Amino acid sequence: MDQAVIIQMVVSGALMGLVYALVAYGFQLTFATSKSINFGQGELVMVSAFFSLTLTDLGLPYYLMIPGGLLFGVIAGLFVERAGVRLALEQKSEGWILMTIIIGLFGFSAAENIWGRDDRPFPTPIPSEPIQLFGISITWLEVSVAVGVFMIMAIIELFKRKTLLGKAFEAVSADRDAAELMGISATRTIMLSYGLSGLVAALAGILISPITTVGPTMASVLVLKAFSVAVVAGLESGFGVVLVGLFLGSLESLTSYYVGSGWREAPGLVLLILSLAIRPTGIFGKAVIRKV
Amino acid sequence: MLKRFILIRGIEGLMVLFFAAIPLMVDNSFMLGLLTLLAIYAILLIGLDVTVGYLGQVNLAQAAFLGLGAYTAGLLVNNFEFGMVSALAAATLVGLVMGGLLAFPALRLEGPQFALATLSFSALSATILNEWESLTQGALGLQIVRPPLFGMALDSKGFYWFCLLLLGLVWMAMKNLLFSQWGRAFEALRDSPIATDAMGIGTYRHKVAGFALGSALGGLAGGLYAFNFEYLQPHVFVYELMVILLLGVVLGGRKNLWGAFVGAILIVLLPNLLSNRMLFQIFSAIGFLLALGAGGLALYQKRTRPFQGIAPMIAMGLLVVGSFTVQNTEDWRKAIFALMLFSVVVGLPEGLMGFAARFLSKLFSIDPLPFASPSDLDQVLVKQEVDGSPLLQLQELKCYFGGVKAVDGVSLTVASGTIHGLIGPNGSGKSTLVNVVSGLYSPTGGSILFHGKPLVQGNLFDVARQGISRTFQNLQLFTELSALDNVMVAMKGWYRSPLPLVLMGLTGKNEKQAEADALALLEMVGLANQARTPSKDLPYGAQRFLEIARAVARRPTFLILDEPAAGLAHPDVTALLGIIRRINKQGITIILIEHHMDVVAGLCDTVTVLDGGKIIAEGKPDEVKRNPLVIEAYLGKGSESASPVTVCLATPSPVPA
Repeated sequence: MDQAVIIQMVVSGALMGLVYALVAYGFQLTFATSKSINFGQGELVMVSAFFSLTLTDLGLPYYLMIPGGLLFGVIAGLFVERAGVRLALEQKSEGWILMTIIIGLFGFSAAENIWGRDDRPFPTPIPSEPIQLFGISITWLEVSVAVGVFMIMAIIELFKRKTLLGKAFEAVSADRDAAELMGISATRTIMLSYGLSGLVAALAGILISPITTVGPTMASVLVLKAFSVAVVAGLESGFGVVLVGLFLGSLESLTSYYVGSGWREAPGLVLLILSLAIRPTGIFGKAVIRKV
Repeated sequence: MLKRFILIRGIEGLMVLFFAAIPLMVDNSFMLGLLTLLAIYAILLIGLDVTVGYLGQVNLAQAAFLGLGAYTAGLLVNNFEFGMVSALAAATLVGLVMGGLLAFPALRLEGPQFALATLSFSALSATILNEWESLTQGALGLQIVRPPLFGMALDSKGFYWFCLLLLGLVWMAMKNLLFSQWGRAFEALRDSPIATDAMGIGTYRHKVAGFALGSALGGLAGGLYAFNFEYLQPHVFVYELMVILLLGVVLGGRKNLWGAFVGAILIVLLPNLLSNRMLFQIFSAIGFLLALGAGGLALYQKRTRPFQGIAPMIAMGLLVVGSFTVQNTEDWRKAIFALMLFSVVVGLPEGLMGFAARFLSKLFSIDPLPFASPSDLDQVLVKQEVDGSPLLQLQELKCYFGGVKAVDGVSLTVASGTIHGLIGPNGSGKSTLVNVVSGLYSPTGGSILFHGKPLVQGNLFDVARQGISRTFQNLQLFTELSALDNVMVAMKGWYRSPLPLVLMGLTGKNEKQAEADALALLEMVGLANQARTPSKDLPYGAQRFLEIARAVARRPTFLILDEPAAGLAHPDVTALLGIIRRINKQGITIILIEHHMDVVAGLCDTVTVLDGGKIIAEGKPDEVKRNPLVIEAYLGKGSESASPVTVCLATPSPVPA
């Protein structure tokens, strides 16, 4: 086998893996504050992408469309929190799993009927001609994905570390009860985390759409891989998701090359089940001490 | 008794006769198809209810098990000429084995991770069914010819009766199972996994068994599904079907066989409902009015949170608007399912049958079966021989959490037949110490000898099986179970309940014996007249006593009581003293963590005082009270001048000495 082909496969797979990492990062944000995640995150990615596409169709230039799409993602994230998560958290139940699945299903059906079932191209000013870099061809589009992913993650991490609101976020993540006693509203912090998670999902949609096209099913596979990445890396470590995302992306790119494109979903799923079996807290996660 | 028999068994029997007679009365192949599907889905949903209802986990793999079972049965018939029964048995077995294999890793997990594992499993099996074209013919689909039953070819009527028969068998078997020790164990582990292990019931094995059983029913339903349609395509067994199945279980009512049946009716009727516009409009209008009426009433009476009343109204309102404005309801299918499911989960979490059961139980009050008369306590707790020899020996036991040395080199010996007190200021390591002994934590170093032999470490369940039982400082009752069931479930292991016999309903005698014994224990702690009360509805003091009765039901040689008097009122403390003495009289050795000095002084033969993870004093209660180190630990330096130790040791309680 030609070594150049393998490297090519690994690199372009890894770039896709960054998008998985970004969606997985969205899971981490909400898991940190509320120990819950949005099972309909894939639909959120997809609906946000469709909304952004509509903005573009309305004639909004690319760089104005992005904030619009992100804002939509934030609102959708807040909606999920209000309609699907808050009640279950108040009841201390795991009802949010089912509720977020339901909301996702509704979003899926709505998108199918509003925007149609067909895949549509997503226009972008970023050129898609490949450039040669050390003998590997990369497109500017792929580079923009990498830049976008790292930028948003850096911004959110800085926000968490440097601002007062961000520190409240960290406080609720560390110990919800103690944070509440210090006058930090856990409910608002959880809202904030869902808003941020929606923003991240919308960005993932905008970044990936020019490459994959936009359609109702565009994110149903993506989200499964993001689940894998989040679980394998552990639901705590932002650094971990990037590493695992890169790894999984290149692994499945190689799988689809060697085994067949229908099997490209398999490694992520197997990895997830294996990881749960061997190390449920994830590679970068910490074990929790049970207290009675 | 007779009324009970007629109402419960009679209705079941009538329903079977009614459904069996329909094809004789109406000759309509479309209807027959629906009925067959109803029987199949009912089996499937009963299986799903085991995980979703009893184990309380979100299971997204049942559609996958349906698919795996269907393909197994179909391929065996096609390629190896299996008969009906053997193909169905194989499909069930595949469900059982695959379910078990998935459960092993997945069920160590709680909540979201479990749901994710089942979701991945579904996606993975869909991929395999699609891509393994040489075997399954992939998206093309697989043709199957319905095999004969014992050499008899079945027409569609015969097949329907066969499905109905299987449903009846599954129904009876599940009923036997769920009202047995197994059913109680399923509910126990949902309420408190830690206590389930500490009571020697075994969280993990019951979870795996329950999940495998539910998946086996999925496989069986799959086999029937294959022989019903005689054509299979992989894309049927995907996410959407899974959501519909969950809708069926939740709307029908969780933890309820009838709920699964009602859910199955709904699933079968849904597609027809959606294709008829008029019917759909009527249906959604009824739903909206129900949400409006029930939600409004509940809001008015302030029985519910605003969100729970209003959100279903909005969702059903959307459904009504949709039913009049949308061009093609079929296209909006998923959104319709979503709105319905949303309304039910938020507004009617108990489901239709849970709701109906409350009404029906008011209309036809069925007296519960009378209890067996309580056993003699001396026979339940057979007196154990004690000789004062060392029963439990700790040698240099250490337990560190990172840099925190919670227990730091404790050596102590508990003589058999004694009550050994363990006291010390908050944070001195008492609870950690007993958590290490009972297997919740693994020790960092040192050894534990029980009966002179090393004790298993770091596993609650294994330790419990050695004859060590405990209560918890923060109550860990099985909240949904009645007081009696809380005690009975802890008797697991004393009365054999092998699964095959349970499924056939042949363990009634053991059940009666367990009930009588449990009643004796409830009598001992003064709760015999509240045996039927769900433990979450008992007053706080009674819950503490129930935990003691439950721990004793293990018939331990060694009992750990972790602050049993915490928060008790004075008369209860007096009762507690009597109970602990009574238990000790039967030869059960007790280690007692307590802050109430009068309890310690009145009961304990020996007292060990811990501070900062180390032993600072040991001896008779009176000696320990006067030990200057102990006084210092509680009051700090400079107060050794003969201070009233009783007061300072009896921390936040108003109990007079």
